[in-house]
Amino acid sequence: MRSDLTVELVDQVRYKRERLKDLLPPIPGTPFVFLSPFFVLFGVFLAIPVFYTIYLSFFVFQGVSMEPIFVLDLGTYQLVVPEMANLRFVGLEHYERMLTDQVFHQAITNTVVIFVVQMPIMVSLALGLALVLNAGFTRFKDAFRSVLLLPVSANTVAYSVIFIVLVTEGGLADAMFRAVGLDPVAWLSNGFWSRNLIAFMSVWRWTGYNMIIILAGLQTISDSLYEAAEIDGATKIQKFRYVTLPQLKPIMLFVFVTSTIGGFKKFAEPTIVIQSGAPITETRTIAYYIYQVAFQNLELGYGSALTVALVVIIMSLSLLQFKVS
Amino acid sequence: MHDELKAEAIWRFAGYGFLILVTMFMLVPIYWLLVASTLPESAIIASAGSGLPRLIPGTHFLENARTLAARPDVDFYLSIFNSVLIAVVYTGLALIFCSMAGFAFAKYDFRFKEPLFLGILATLIIPINLLVVPLFLLVSNIGLANSYWAVILPWAAYPIGIFFMRQSMQSIPDSLLEAARMDGASEFQLYYRVALPTMKSSMAALAVILFLFQWNLFLWPLVVLQQEKFTIPVAITKIMGQEQIAYDQLLIAAVLAIVPMFVVFLALQRHFVRGILAGAVKE
Repeated sequence: MRSDLTVELVDQVRYKRERLKDLLPPIPGTPFVFLSPFFVLFGVFLAIPVFYTIYLSFFVFQGVSMEPIFVLDLGTYQLVVPEMANLRFVGLEHYERMLTDQVFHQAITNTVVIFVVQMPIMVSLALGLALVLNAGFTRFKDAFRSVLLLPVSANTVAYSVIFIVLVTEGGLADAMFRAVGLDPVAWLSNGFWSRNLIAFMSVWRWTGYNMIIILAGLQTISDSLYEAAEIDGATKIQKFRYVTLPQLKPIMLFVFVTSTIGGFKKFAEPTIVIQSGAPITETRTIAYYIYQVAFQNLELGYGSALTVALVVIIMSLSLLQFKVS
Repeated sequence: MHDELKAEAIWRFAGYGFLILVTMFMLVPIYWLLVASTLPESAIIASAGSGLPRLIPGTHFLENARTLAARPDVDFYLSIFNSVLIAVVYTGLALIFCSMAGFAFAKYDFRFKEPLFLGILATLIIPINLLVVPLFLLVSNIGLANSYWAVILPWAAYPIGIFFMRQSMQSIPDSLLEAARMDGASEFQLYYRVALPTMKSSMAALAVILFLFQWNLFLWPLVVLQQEKFTIPVAITKIMGQEQIAYDQLLIAAVLAIVPMFVVFLALQRHFVRGILAGAVKE
């Protein structure tokens, strides 16, 4: 029988531990010591810029001055958020300009078109691969997984370069098209194909990444669900439709949301494609346009407004996906 | 029964076919890059309209590497040094900051803990590399423009990092920390001597992600760095930005930017997978 003695002992130990905790409490403020380096950097380089972007989007300016609008004195180190010379408040002017800015509209169209080509191909490839790699019969799973995941580690600019050289006139892609009796495609001089090229490049880079996430999702689905479906006489396709897909929903949502964020801020690929001669009007993404406005035309105010608009677009799309699911 | 076996065989066949096809799609650009980097420029592109570019390796690798070094406008080898230096220092610092903060969030109670953490998570949806305009003003104003720190510091507080470290450190048993406390360990020693050693594999996972993130940054270094501080991606775009693209030099640069990472990545891959899954599955 479990004697009272045992209960008493347990109580005693518990009591002692509580007392020791009281005796040796973590020094108050300790967590903040651990947090402070992170939060200083987070505040300075992330939180302030987020609000600062919104602030700047209401102003026009010429040149940067050293006049501070915000000073944080940290003893030996002074943090200064700069004020701009001749800063002129223009209210919503930038946002109004956006409504009629044809280049911006074109950039949105380009970004969306690239995304709409990339997303379905990438996600269905990733899902298909994950299903095959999760199936019992597949061998050499680790080897396949490694190769498929390899592109994730490729530098975005460097891998874009590979694709550019691949599809250059007289390059390997041309030769492969001819070999199967097709006419070579003008990947770099035709805007339509340049956009598709950007989409295909992104598919190459990100499919493996999404595959891994979906694969992990598949592995969390309990076998008993499949067994139950089997007893009910479900076919493979029915099992996929009524067991796998519903169970995979949260993971697929994650895949969609992260791909949306990634797709809408695409910058490296269009930059390289444009530099190699593709028509800029048809391949310029929003992120590329923001770069041009802010750092080539030096319109930092308008660039900030465009950034705010882009973040709003991305957030609404992400929220929409949450709603729909 | 016979039909079932047949159906099974078809599934297998289709599955393998699909898997091999996609794998080849992934491998072709890589294989071709390796081959093309060993060819003289004339053989990389077949003379327009006729014939196939060569598909077996040549012997021009070192020569291509030498022409790249001889470029007067871009010092690509210096950019490799810059990229490695920046990525290593960045990874080290971000690991320290994220793990310290993660430790606090996982193992202490304090006021505003939840709202603070949610605030960090909220920034995940903002594409942070688009904050270039305010960051540029900020960084140039505190005198960091065109310094290594300009690329290292802004992302050293990496929200995914703190999120990941908090998740991992929650698995450290409280009794372990209490025992150490009774033995007279200071709070910092708890972190350094108790928490960190048990978190080795989590730290490795995060390190791979941080390193790759920094290695891939493009827009921000492009804006904030000058000639002699260029990182690899920026240097490559400068090589490209000429009237006539020198394919041999461009491809050698791509090889140097990609292949070493492939090797490192293959070695550390399982850590990377663990890292991205921590972000995905805990959604």
